[in-house]
Amino acid sequence: MTDLAQLILSGVALGMIYALLAFGYNITYSTSRTINFAQGEFLMLGALTGLTCDVRLRLGYLGALAGAALVGAALGVLLERVAIRPALRTGSTVAWVLATVALAIVARNAAERIWGTDDTLFPAPLGSDPLQIGGVRVLPQELLVIAAAAVIMLLVEAFRRWSLWGRAVTAVAADKDAAALVGINVPVVIVASFVLSSAIAAVSGVLVAPLTLAGPTMGILLGTKAYAVAIVGGLQSGVGVVVGGLLIGLCEQLTARYISTGYKDTPGFVLLILILLIKPSGLFGRRSIEKV
Amino acid sequence: MSELRARSPWAIVFLAGAALLVAAGCGPKASAPAAEPIRIGVYGPFTGGSSPMGLSMRDGVRLATDEVNARGGVLGRKIELVERDDQATNERGAQVMQDLISNQHVVAVLGPINTGVALASYKYPMAAKVPLLINVSAGAPVNELFKDNPDNYVFRIAASDNIQAGMIVGEAVDKRGIQKVAFLCDDTNYGQNGCAKMQEAMDSRKLKPVYVGKFKIKDTDMTPQLEEARAGGAQALLVYGIGPELAQIANGQQKLGYKVPMIGSWTLSMSNFIDAAGPNGEGATMPETFIQIGDHSEKAKKFIADYQKKYGVERIPSAVSAAQGYDSLYLITAAIAQAGSTDGPKIKAALEDLTQPYDGVIASFKKPFSATDHEAIHAAEVVMGVVHGGEVHPPEK
Repeated sequence: MTDLAQLILSGVALGMIYALLAFGYNITYSTSRTINFAQGEFLMLGALTGLTCDVRLRLGYLGALAGAALVGAALGVLLERVAIRPALRTGSTVAWVLATVALAIVARNAAERIWGTDDTLFPAPLGSDPLQIGGVRVLPQELLVIAAAAVIMLLVEAFRRWSLWGRAVTAVAADKDAAALVGINVPVVIVASFVLSSAIAAVSGVLVAPLTLAGPTMGILLGTKAYAVAIVGGLQSGVGVVVGGLLIGLCEQLTARYISTGYKDTPGFVLLILILLIKPSGLFGRRSIEKV
Repeated sequence: MSELRARSPWAIVFLAGAALLVAAGCGPKASAPAAEPIRIGVYGPFTGGSSPMGLSMRDGVRLATDEVNARGGVLGRKIELVERDDQATNERGAQVMQDLISNQHVVAVLGPINTGVALASYKYPMAAKVPLLINVSAGAPVNELFKDNPDNYVFRIAASDNIQAGMIVGEAVDKRGIQKVAFLCDDTNYGQNGCAKMQEAMDSRKLKPVYVGKFKIKDTDMTPQLEEARAGGAQALLVYGIGPELAQIANGQQKLGYKVPMIGSWTLSMSNFIDAAGPNGEGATMPETFIQIGDHSEKAKKFIADYQKKYGVERIPSAVSAAQGYDSLYLITAAIAQAGSTDGPKIKAALEDLTQPYDGVIASFKKPFSATDHEAIHAAEVVMGVVHGGEVHPPEK
């Protein structure tokens, strides 16, 4: 029984990481109908920036989080300027996909030049001695990831629902032209959504790095998994990405343990294909009705 | 079209400039034919998770090359290295090998690190009759190739997986008396080949592993594999993979409080295993041809000191790769000198019958190869190293 509880716990921790990244996809998709395929690389850049702040500059873990958030926000502005805005202006649907993928490659190569190609240990702020809860052993960092991811997502959801700015974002998501007519500065809202989404990705890098090691290739798999999570949960739903994340995280761990480690990633992606076939807008996505 | 036309004057200027540069560059070289260097190819992963091995190997080869060139080179010619990054990917390995042989016209090739890369690329030197001296890859086929290629151009100066897997199982079963073991291997050619070889070693002892688990490169959570090994009652983990993932296994053991010995491939000596596992990697045991710490011959002491001085490091990132890289360059130059030629078949014949013994860093080589045995390293030259206090130590006597 403790065996199962142990797996569920590590599945939840894994799922929350996926959910946090997928939440970034959700934020930009709701305002601009685009997503950033370099999200995984932004996580990696956040982790490595954090490592520099924490270990090299001795700013501590909070300094690392702040440094990563700043770099993430700056990357968000850059991304929107060079990859998203030109594509939206020309109305191209493929240009932003290719541009963000290209940015991901540039980011990875740049990171290899700056930080080297090796995976390095990120010191865990709460120590690496596991806590014992019942028969289950859990790393303090895993609890931190779960808690921090939940807090970040709750705050953003609250902001979106109850603040004036948040309502502007929702308005842009609903109808760009109508939002502009009532005086909302649509381009600024879109930039803000990219800043927020990229900063969250960078901060999640600092959160997960003590568990995963930090290195230039750490973002590739996470970015892909998070994309699957966003599709399964529904790109437009904040709740959806959490459920999707937990579902895929748990699926992976349980398959690896009870079926075969060789099939670990299979159920998640089978789920992805099934959802695309049966409910393309995702488990929690509302079907959007396009009025022409 | 109009854009092209507008640019063409600049294109002409550019081409003219380039032509001048080429002419200037080639002029002096052509007038001194005796100094034409001997080109030797070096390929390995200089980026990614295997890069500590690739870079150490390359730096070992460079160190030996500088020494040989300082003494006037070989056959009165300097040695020039042509280095290529295979990025540890199989298709890239095949590409760079074709480039080395067809475009760069190297007379011999040293490398690679990764089993898959070796598998994807050994055919080209074989067909072109250019010797390939494998200096790190443990899983690449060497003597196995004689069956289909009687004229075999592949040699190895590294402990093969046959030797390593046998020693790993021997350490657990024969030396420590542990009968219940679990295998954890990565899903690359390297890990799966090692897994199969360990299986053979277990079969020969009439034993079976209690669990055989797999993981992928970049997997960070090993909880399911470790839980299943523990549920099976495994008292030792026999692992095959590369540094970062092996470190995650050690870290997972600490998290789950599953403290059983970890014995595995020589990659447990990689800096990125030792650093990323930290105290959790303590006691990890692996077969090694060369350990930086401990008693050494004068030659090996000088090698370590020179390496540290030249590259400004205290600990060699992968000492085995560096030492084997160094020795591989000396063996190939010895063969070229003996052959008196850079002709592939003649170098191969010389390698198979080296008359001068070479006192190397990892071993003292007397006729390391023969026409039927292209493996320079045998079980006698390999010892079990242990990770202790962030460094690999030789076995206790």
